[in-house]
Amino acid sequence: MGKLPPSLRSANFAVNTLIKTPSSVPHQNIPSPTSKPHYYPKKSQSPKKKAPSNTEPQLPSIVSFDSTTLSDAKTLFNSLISNTRNLPSDNKFYNAILQSFSSNSTLQDSILFLNHMIKVHPPFSPDRFTYHVLLIQSCKSADLSLSPVHQVLNLMTSNGIPPNKVSTDIAVRTLCSSDREEQAIELVKELSSKDSPPDTYTYNFIVRHLCKNRPLSTMNSFIKEMREGFDIKPDLVTYTIMIDNVCNSKNLREATRLLGVLSEEGYKPDCYVYNTIMKGYCMLSQGGEVLSVYKKMQEEGVKPDLVTYNTLIYGLSKSGRVKDAKKFLNVMMEEGHIPDAVTYTSLMNGMCREGDPLGAVALLEKMEARGCAPNSCTYNTLLHGLCKARLLDKGMKLYDVMKQNGMKLETGSYGTFLRALCRQGRVAEAYEVFDYAIESKSLTDVAAYTTLESTLKWLKKAREQGLVI
Amino acid sequence: MLPQRMKKVITDNPKKLANLIDLVNLPSTLREFMGQSQTSRLGCFKRVWSYIKENNLQDPSNKNLVNCDEKLKSILLGKPQVELTELPTLIKLHFPKQPR
Repeated sequence: MGKLPPSLRSANFAVNTLIKTPSSVPHQNIPSPTSKPHYYPKKSQSPKKKAPSNTEPQLPSIVSFDSTTLSDAKTLFNSLISNTRNLPSDNKFYNAILQSFSSNSTLQDSILFLNHMIKVHPPFSPDRFTYHVLLIQSCKSADLSLSPVHQVLNLMTSNGIPPNKVSTDIAVRTLCSSDREEQAIELVKELSSKDSPPDTYTYNFIVRHLCKNRPLSTMNSFIKEMREGFDIKPDLVTYTIMIDNVCNSKNLREATRLLGVLSEEGYKPDCYVYNTIMKGYCMLSQGGEVLSVYKKMQEEGVKPDLVTYNTLIYGLSKSGRVKDAKKFLNVMMEEGHIPDAVTYTSLMNGMCREGDPLGAVALLEKMEARGCAPNSCTYNTLLHGLCKARLLDKGMKLYDVMKQNGMKLETGSYGTFLRALCRQGRVAEAYEVFDYAIESKSLTDVAAYTTLESTLKWLKKAREQGLVI
Repeated sequence: MLPQRMKKVITDNPKKLANLIDLVNLPSTLREFMGQSQTSRLGCFKRVWSYIKENNLQDPSNKNLVNCDEKLKSILLGKPQVELTELPTLIKLHFPKQPR
């Protein structure tokens, strides 16, 4: 069978899965990479129970499209229809076949194959999902114009299933995931002018995607055009995405402007907006400012959540105000939030920065006693801190624990650890750490080796200058 | 974390990365040791290091030293004993900078 493209693998929708585990079939939904399951009608659980074990031995050999030519696929389908008793009446089965074929054929062939399927096996009447299979394929086609997409959309309309919001969403997401944002925008505008505007999910998806992959101006002009052309305005979520984005690119002025716009539009910032702003300050290395945001939240009566406290503690730790950070650890527990690994790790990071890695290790014990499991980031932070403070033996013990649990090393702590080992002349152990880094796939061979090589080079130089033994 | 670093390595010095991972035609001495005619500097280093581990060539009293056997001697300048610290440098000698 043709391999599914990775984007669809998560959709868990392939003929081979249908065959191997008939019982899992009812859970398989729709051939779409979209993450909005709530849009789809819940299918009844029963109909596929009929794909029974007596047909099972025959199916695997039959439904595999080794060849991508249309005629072979037709022959295959014909033999499937004539040789299999108890053909499933459920559309999912046929949709899966179509999807399997479409994953390595051209759109035209897929359409012809669909027509063939209908002709040979009239009980099968294509539904919305059938056409969405084609729609996805059209969005991925090598043709960089929108004409294949139009072809499918027209096909849908002429067959009495006019595209709806889900279709728009699928098309937009597929286009965006194949780096064709411009066409996604074009399509959205076109559909908006045809009275099927995108819903807020689609709209915000595009905005978020543009933020990540295109210059700011592209997104701004998209928002402007949607507002002026179709009266579709950004909502609070959109503004949060935009603020987050400009904060990530350290553009504080734009963030402030957006905050102004937000309140002009009549939105009241919620917890998420404030969290984003806090994060922004952390990104800008102005972690101390998080306190003022927190105060503002309290003035406005917005209730902080776990993320707020985590960000707060992170920001304070980062800017060296560990004492305040510790205070907020207590405050959040009083408020009924349970500190998680992120909270503790941020705090430990701050303590290590302050040169108190032993206190951080004590906190590790405390957090474990409270039933919060540390993650690899926690251990990396501690390893880094201990090595920096030249407490190599303790670091070594920690490293052994990490190894036992199969935790990955991070680039930073790996480098610090290597240097600490080499400084004490424990080169063989450094080599062993190098092996572990590669074996546990913490780093690529190249990254692990470059660090090792440069550390050894540094050691040689330091020895020549008599700095280390 | 990782991809960023990779990116950094690459953008900082594409040539440096290239001379680490590009396959090179090996000189005859190294060819015999590796059992193949082409390898990268990184591959060679990993092969030598695993050879040392497989044959327990590290000095039992000081693990930082490697007591070379005949085969290893042939590729490491004929030294009877090398330090692990200088291993990358010694291997680099077999991979001279390519004149462009």
